[in-house]
Amino acid sequence: MNGYNFAYLDEQTKRMIRRALLKAVAIPGYQVPFGGREMPMPYGWGTGGVQLTASILGADDILKVIDQGADDTTNAVSIRHFFQRVAGVETTTATTAADVIQTRHRIPETPLRSGQILVFQVPIPEPLRFIEPSEQETRLMHALEEYGVMHVKLYEDIARYGHIATTYAYPVKVDGRYVMDPSPIPKFDNPKLDGNPALMLFGAGREKRLYAIPPHTRVESLDFEDHPFEIQRWEHSCALCGSDRSYLDEVITDDKGGRMFVCSDTDYCQTRRGEVA
Amino acid sequence: MTMEKGTVTQHRGASSAAWPGLADPAHDSQRLFRQILGAMSEPGTLTTLAVPAPPQAAPSDALGAALWGVILTLCDLETRVWIAADLDSPPLREALTFHTGARITDDPANADFALLTHESFDPQTPFALGSDTYPDRGTTLLVAVERLANAEPWILSGPGIETIRALDIGDSPGCRALMDRLAANRASFPRGLDMIFGCGARLAAVPRSTRADSREVN
Repeated sequence: MNGYNFAYLDEQTKRMIRRALLKAVAIPGYQVPFGGREMPMPYGWGTGGVQLTASILGADDILKVIDQGADDTTNAVSIRHFFQRVAGVETTTATTAADVIQTRHRIPETPLRSGQILVFQVPIPEPLRFIEPSEQETRLMHALEEYGVMHVKLYEDIARYGHIATTYAYPVKVDGRYVMDPSPIPKFDNPKLDGNPALMLFGAGREKRLYAIPPHTRVESLDFEDHPFEIQRWEHSCALCGSDRSYLDEVITDDKGGRMFVCSDTDYCQTRRGEVA
Repeated sequence: MTMEKGTVTQHRGASSAAWPGLADPAHDSQRLFRQILGAMSEPGTLTTLAVPAPPQAAPSDALGAALWGVILTLCDLETRVWIAADLDSPPLREALTFHTGARITDDPANADFALLTHESFDPQTPFALGSDTYPDRGTTLLVAVERLANAEPWILSGPGIETIRALDIGDSPGCRALMDRLAANRASFPRGLDMIFGCGARLAAVPRSTRADSREVN
C-alpha cells in the first residue's frame, strides 16, 4: 500500500515495541509500559493487539484473526482486512496454518504448536485495578507480591454465591510470581495458558501496556484448596459438529424459547464438520 | 539512501564504511527481531542470524555478525549504548552512530544495551537492573562469548524451556562469571540482567527468568 510503511507502523515505533516485547518475555506476566500510538481504529477495537501484531509481522507470515473464537465477526474481519492492506500478508482461518494469530477473548480449541505466536487484545491489563484504582499502588503491590486482596475478591464470590463466580478474565499467576489478567477469555481457556508451546503476547492500547507468557511457562489460575479452580461445563454438545469438549455459545433460534448450543471457535467447528461429512 | 551513505562515509574515512547496514531495513529487521524474540522466549536455543559481518579488524572483530545484527535491529536514537573497553574503537562508535543514531554512554547504569566480550565482563560493573516497580528498565547485555553449544556444564530451566536445556558458552573465567551472574538473577527477580550471547553469526539469549545451574558444582 502506497504512503505507508510495511505493516502501518513506522520503524521507530516498531523498534520501541520490540524492545518492550523482549523485556516482557524476560519478565513473564509483568506489564511493560510502551508508547502506544494512535491507530486508525478506536480504543476497544484491539489497538494494543494490532500494534503488537504490526511489530512482529513479516511479509511471509500467515495471519489469522479471531473475535470470540470466530473468524467472521466484525472485529476479526476488519483487523484481517487492515493487515491485508497495510502488510499484504496472506491470511487464513485455519488455526494450524497460521504463524501469527490475533485474538479477541478466546484461545483456539485446536492445540497451538511451537513457533506460533498468539496476540491477545486486552482492554484492562491490570488485574488489581477493580480492587485498587491507583496505578502507583497496584505497581507497588506487584513489586511486593502483595496479592492477598485478589484471594479476598475470589473468597467474596464464595461467601456470596457458594462458588467462585468469576467466569472470564480469571486471574492467573505466571511462573509463581506475577498475578496477571489473561484478558477477558472465558476461564474455560485458562488451562490452555499453562505450558502452552506457543508464545503468547498481550497488548493493551488504551492503557499502553504489553506483557507476555513465553512457551512452556507455568500458569496457575488462582483458587483455594477447598474451592479448586474449575472450568465451565455444558450439558449439551455442539449442535453443528457434536463436540462435547469445546466452548459453546448459546444461540436463540426463535421467540418461543428455542435455542441451540454451538462452538464459539468457528474453525474448529467447521474442521470437525468437514471431517465428519 | 545509498547516495547519502556514500557521501557520509567519504567524509568520515574508510574505517566505518566497512560496517554493513541492513539492505532492506523494514523486512530485514523484522526477520532478525523474530529470531531474537524466539531466542529470548526459548532461552538457550541457538539461532543463526543472516547478517553481513562487521569488519575483521581488531578490536571490533570480536563483536561478531549476530550481535551487530541485534544492534541494527534494536538500537536507535532512543537507546543508550555502553561499550566495554576491549570492543571500543572509533570505527565502531562511528558505525553505531551512523547506522542507528544510538547515543553512546560511559555510565553502565544508564545504558539500555551494553556491548562486551566474555573477557571484559566484570560482575562488579553497575549495570541497571531495573527497579522493583519498573524491572523492565534494566540493561540488556550483548556479550560475545567463546562458543555457543547445547551442551553441559550449564543446565537451564524455567519459562520457555519444557524440561531442561544445556548451554555451553566457553571455559574462560569470564564465561564462568557470566553464567554465575545469570544464576544470581533469581535472587533479585524481578530485577536482573538479561543477556544475549553472540558467537560469530550464532546467537542465544538467557533472560533473568531462567534458572541456571552448573553441573560441575552439583
